[in-house]
Amino acid sequence: MSNDGGTAVASGQAVRLASAMVVLRMLRLPIAILVVLLGFALFEPRIVSTGNLRNVLIQSSYLAVFAMAQTVVILTRGFDLSLGVTVSLVSVTVAIVMVHYGGTGMAVALGLGAALAVGMAVGLANGLLVGGIGINPLVTTLGMSYIVVAFATTISGGFPVTGLPGGFTATLARSSVLGVPTPVLMAGAVFAALFFMLRATRFGRSLFIIGANPRAADAAGIRRTPVLVAAYVVCSLVAAVGALMLTARTGSGEPTMGGNLTLEAIAAAVVGGVRLAGGEGGVGAAVMGAVLITVLSNGMNLVQTDGYIQQIVLGAIIIGSLIVNRDEFRR
Amino acid sequence: MSARAAPSAPGPALLGRLLQPGLMVVTFLVLAVVITAMVEPRFLNPLNINNLLRNFAFLAIPAIAQMLVMKSGGFDLSVGAVVAGSSVITAMTMSAVLQAYPGMEGMAILIALGVAVGAGMAVGLVNGALVAYQDLSPFMVTLAMASVVMGIALYYTQGIPVYGVADSFIAEIGRGRWFGYPPVLFIALGIVALLVVMQRFTRLGRHIYAVGSDLRAARLSGIPARRTLLKVYVMAGGLSALTGFLMTSRIGSGQANIASTLALETIAACVIGGVSLRGGVGRAEHVALAALFLVVVSNAMNLTQIDSRFQTLVLGMVLIIALSIEHLLLRRRLT
Repeated sequence: MSNDGGTAVASGQAVRLASAMVVLRMLRLPIAILVVLLGFALFEPRIVSTGNLRNVLIQSSYLAVFAMAQTVVILTRGFDLSLGVTVSLVSVTVAIVMVHYGGTGMAVALGLGAALAVGMAVGLANGLLVGGIGINPLVTTLGMSYIVVAFATTISGGFPVTGLPGGFTATLARSSVLGVPTPVLMAGAVFAALFFMLRATRFGRSLFIIGANPRAADAAGIRRTPVLVAAYVVCSLVAAVGALMLTARTGSGEPTMGGNLTLEAIAAAVVGGVRLAGGEGGVGAAVMGAVLITVLSNGMNLVQTDGYIQQIVLGAIIIGSLIVNRDEFRR
Repeated sequence: MSARAAPSAPGPALLGRLLQPGLMVVTFLVLAVVITAMVEPRFLNPLNINNLLRNFAFLAIPAIAQMLVMKSGGFDLSVGAVVAGSSVITAMTMSAVLQAYPGMEGMAILIALGVAVGAGMAVGLVNGALVAYQDLSPFMVTLAMASVVMGIALYYTQGIPVYGVADSFIAEIGRGRWFGYPPVLFIALGIVALLVVMQRFTRLGRHIYAVGSDLRAARLSGIPARRTLLKVYVMAGGLSALTGFLMTSRIGSGQANIASTLALETIAACVIGGVSLRGGVGRAEHVALAALFLVVVSNAMNLTQIDSRFQTLVLGMVLIIALSIEHLLLRRRLT
């Protein structure tokens, strides 16, 4: 009897310990972000100033949008290696359209339409190849990235497209609503929309099931082709929204805007804990990962770390978080 | 164990046969050569042929490295970074040795080769250890390592070319001729031959196929799967580093930005050469032919002065078309 009571107490402690571990695991990214912030603050107190924190928030909203876009396809065991160049293509297309139509309100509306059309087109092409024909997403989107970059450099001639309407850049990049900067608001809106989509719609749940087990998805009667096509379209559309935000910030259409974005977006998702084998993770993880990476690079910039050293650190962080996350998924 | 998954099912005879994995690349290559030679006679000019064969060697060696990794079921996105890092190390080591022992060019070249290839194999060792013993995604590991290696190369050079390599290194290897052809061509062909022998006749070659087709089955049948994976990544790192060493002899200086798109080009060569993205299938001779095909296409577009932007578009289309054909054929064979 007393023996049984002993095990009950022991298992009660074990449960408490286990649930404490679970909470700790869930909070590990916020904790990591805080540790990084405070660590840098020891060397450079300006890092925790209100101005800089606001700055970090704005900077991370761009990366967060791209990481969320990438997450939608990673959930299905996919990848979008054409994300960065899609951002470049959207950026120059928007600028060309807005400049061509004279920078009026009408021109801005046409530009926004063009951005979404480009995102839609790239997403459809990727989705039809991956979901329709069934080719490996890595190589499909790799091939697509060559094609998209050719378009981006051809229509812009390889040069930045300047002369964007001031209203567009001011509204999207520098305004704020009730003290919240517009880029942060837009990232929040994207988050809310995707969060709802993933958690509360049939489509969202299908993404998780396809990623977790494609055969189970077939058995459950999920038609993979339309779901995958839609996933790639959503990914590219969200990337187009991010491209609009970035274009407004730089104030010109840049054919090289997407440069490292693909990898940074994947890195942010991975660091946040989105599982590369599909089926686990969410846009919240992507946002956290984006904030962590931005906090790190902001801190390194402020303590004047060499840009190339930062590149080394980013690689090390990715490998470190892969190891940490692997242990979690093993459980 | 055969590289081919199964004997081909009866299908539409000629077209089907021409599009089989092994023959598809030959078909593509012959078409590309014939069309280019007809459209642009300068294509067959000996100078151009030499140029083309040199570019072929510079793509074939890293493509073989990529093939080894893909055959084992992975990806190596650090190929380009290792090539660049090796170029920097080659030049730095060589100029350091020459400063310490002026005139000892042969020794400097050999030491540089050893240090560069050793460093490349060390990167491969890290990649392989993380993939094989930590069970991490090869794609992400090599991507992260590419970032690390490029960061180191750029930090030490700050993006500035490293001069001071041996004159004979440039004259004999980079610009030299063996029997009238660029030396790198013979090195590349030697490596392809070596790999053909390895994949057919050695235990390691068979183990790589086994590990790539089904890791668990390989393990259960007593194959040292982890060690095989590790060896694959080390060999790939060494071959990439050799490419960087050879490119340095051609350029005449060590540069950290010589191979920014090489990882993607090698994947393209492998895919066109019929290496399966699921692992377990791939032959060195087919990959070499695919590399030659890609080089011919890009040479043809250069000769006919097609805009370089349009060239990337063609490369993307070729990649996607080759994949679609492979996939549709595979599906037909399975059903």
